[in-house]
Amino acid sequence: MHTPLPNTDLQTTYYALAAVVLPFVAFLINFMVSSKSSKMSGWISTGAVLMSAVLAAMVFARIWNMQQIHGQQLWFSIGETPVYAGVWLNNLSVLMLLLVTVVAVPVHIYSTAYIKTHENNRYFTYLSLFCFSMLALVVVDSMVLLYAFWELVGFSSYLLIGFWFTRDSAVQANKKAFIMNRIGDIGLLTAIIILFAQYHTFDLVQLFGEKGLLYTSTIKDGLWLPSSSIVPPHNGWVIYGSEGISSVWQYVAFTGIVLAVAAKSAQFPLHTWLPDAMEGPTSVSALIHAATMVAAGVFLLGRVYPMFNTTELDILAVIGCFTAFMAATIALTQNDLKRILAYSTISQLGYMIMAMGINAYSSSLFHLATHAFFKCLLFLCAGVIIHEMQHIKEENELDIDPQNILYMGGLRKKLPVTFVACVVGCLALVGFPLTSGYLSKDGILIQSFEWADGRSAMFRLVPYGIMLTSCLTAFYVARLIFKVFFGEFRLKEILPNVHLHVSDGGWQYTLPLLFLSLCSLFPLFSINPVAYEHAWLYQGFAPSNYLARESAYHMLVPIGINIASVFVAYWAYAVYIQERKLVFPQTSFWFRLSYHQWYIDIFYRNVIANAVVQLGKALFWVDRSVVDGLIELLTKITEMLAALSAWTDRYIVDGTLHLIAATTSAIGNFFRGFQSGKIQYYLFSMLAVILAVFIIKLLI
Amino acid sequence: MITLTHYLIVSAGLFCIGLYVILAKQNAVQILIGIELMLNAAILNLVAFSKFDKLNNSGQTFALFTIVLAAASTAVALAIVLNVYRRYRTIDPGKVNQLKD
Repeated sequence: MHTPLPNTDLQTTYYALAAVVLPFVAFLINFMVSSKSSKMSGWISTGAVLMSAVLAAMVFARIWNMQQIHGQQLWFSIGETPVYAGVWLNNLSVLMLLLVTVVAVPVHIYSTAYIKTHENNRYFTYLSLFCFSMLALVVVDSMVLLYAFWELVGFSSYLLIGFWFTRDSAVQANKKAFIMNRIGDIGLLTAIIILFAQYHTFDLVQLFGEKGLLYTSTIKDGLWLPSSSIVPPHNGWVIYGSEGISSVWQYVAFTGIVLAVAAKSAQFPLHTWLPDAMEGPTSVSALIHAATMVAAGVFLLGRVYPMFNTTELDILAVIGCFTAFMAATIALTQNDLKRILAYSTISQLGYMIMAMGINAYSSSLFHLATHAFFKCLLFLCAGVIIHEMQHIKEENELDIDPQNILYMGGLRKKLPVTFVACVVGCLALVGFPLTSGYLSKDGILIQSFEWADGRSAMFRLVPYGIMLTSCLTAFYVARLIFKVFFGEFRLKEILPNVHLHVSDGGWQYTLPLLFLSLCSLFPLFSINPVAYEHAWLYQGFAPSNYLARESAYHMLVPIGINIASVFVAYWAYAVYIQERKLVFPQTSFWFRLSYHQWYIDIFYRNVIANAVVQLGKALFWVDRSVVDGLIELLTKITEMLAALSAWTDRYIVDGTLHLIAATTSAIGNFFRGFQSGKIQYYLFSMLAVILAVFIIKLLI
Repeated sequence: MITLTHYLIVSAGLFCIGLYVILAKQNAVQILIGIELMLNAAILNLVAFSKFDKLNNSGQTFALFTIVLAAASTAVALAIVLNVYRRYRTIDPGKVNQLKD
């Protein structure tokens, strides 16, 4: 470390590291000791994450609203560039650290009962790996490490979505999630590379921390200048202002970040993996695909927030608003319980992204925290309901989809605890007063109106769109509650003699539900149940002078939205319980648009996937006929050359040699003829030679 | 009148006959006879040329010595032939070929 940290800070750093590493230890133990038929793995992971939560709470108490800690160590250096690895604990990271561990604890407890014993080991191995990756993601201080854990989070999510790998749909879903996330990863990598090229550092603190490099960098005359002057030494570093690069790169980096966020947080146009990810176990959906992993995109936005300029923030706001609206409309007509919740997650994530875009940084993170609790709660409730429906299905040997809400109804008498918990979660989701959702969501709504003030009509669409989305939320939530918990049990109408043995389940089910229900109410976040500015979490991020309630929106928006919500909920009640025909016919264009999820999946499959397949086929053809053809031609030429040289070798080179050999052999044979072993021949030869010599002499 | 040339012709004739016998015959004794014929051709030459010698009868003396030597060598050769016959049961020199290896 550059400057040795004070002792207490060092201790805090170690606590944070221990909180991160404990789930990894659990992962290793579960990985090594694969006891297939025991509950041990579950309790190892739960214990680890519980200890993490305690440590995270201690770290949180020391860091929140106090001095941030940044400790790092040289990791490696490439040429002149040192790359550091370390932790950066500030308000944002300790909040995420606490949030992830605290949400993970009830989910772990719930999972010990929810997952079948023989799948226990594998499940908890993956889950611990996920917890480790997510916790590491929020505390690291280097973009390289951030990217590594970003990938790991995506990978563990992939493992868990495909947990029931014998189901074809689960395999398809995890592939889809993985590919969608890869697109985002490419964006993040691009952004990291561009930022490094511009600022020559991977250090998040140096880049985005207080007085970081991003604050001094400017865009002037189409040039992106890293800094206007010499940056004051920071951490012993001095970086001299270079001449700057084209400002296009700034927008490319922004696009990369947006892609990464859109993929991880399921924003349009990369959101389609999240509803499919519901193929995983429900407890996984609760932890990963509702509360924590999908929040990683929002967290990333929070980390790199200083790099965005006004135009880019506007783009974020529009993306978030559109996603929120689109997902809410889709959730209206879905019949799959988990799919409704998945689209509501996408919608709520849209709120967070939009809040980032409208400069409501603190409200966005506040909503992230509250949403984590109540969405986790809703998913755990859904898990109980699906579990019981599955139970009914198996007991009566029915052929029904246990997640389809059309088969449910009247469950409030059978599952009282779940009913209460689910109602609390839903009220929080709608943003009803006295819940945490009210505090965070109305904050976003109010600030969106303030943001749109004095802007063109285009931007005024954003707050109204988000208002409308809130009403839609109220409708689909009411529909969910009424369909599942009110009325009569619909299976009974179809099959009168069906057996119903359902209950809330053991303490592993009810305890997490109660805990999360309490966390979804206002006292955890604010003593004042109506003013979001008083929430401690909000104040932790907001500028200190932002407490004024000057505009009329602070009164009008919450009252208006709540009256509208109540009205919409009553409308849903009228439609679904009193069965009045006050809704769109199920054959209209709007219904089909919503039911088919805006045809986005179909569009992707038919246009993009098809185009990719066609491109693949075209490339295959090119490969087969052009590339292979060239190679085959080359082969033929080579073969002909080889044949020619073989002929030359055989008849010319070998021929010469054979001729020499044959000549030698003939001469040898000729002379060997004299060596007959008969003495008289020798004599005769001698005589012949002598005569020959004499004759030659005579002739010459 | 008989001149030196006549002697030489007779001598050459004898020599050729001897040579032919040596080359053509397949009997060791006949070959020995051929050798004798060639020796005698040489002796005849010695005697014929001795007429032109400054010393008296030196050619004849040489001839005598030669005859003695020829007789001795023939004796040795005959002894060899006898031994060859004992060993190989033949005196055809073409068939006596086990020494070559």
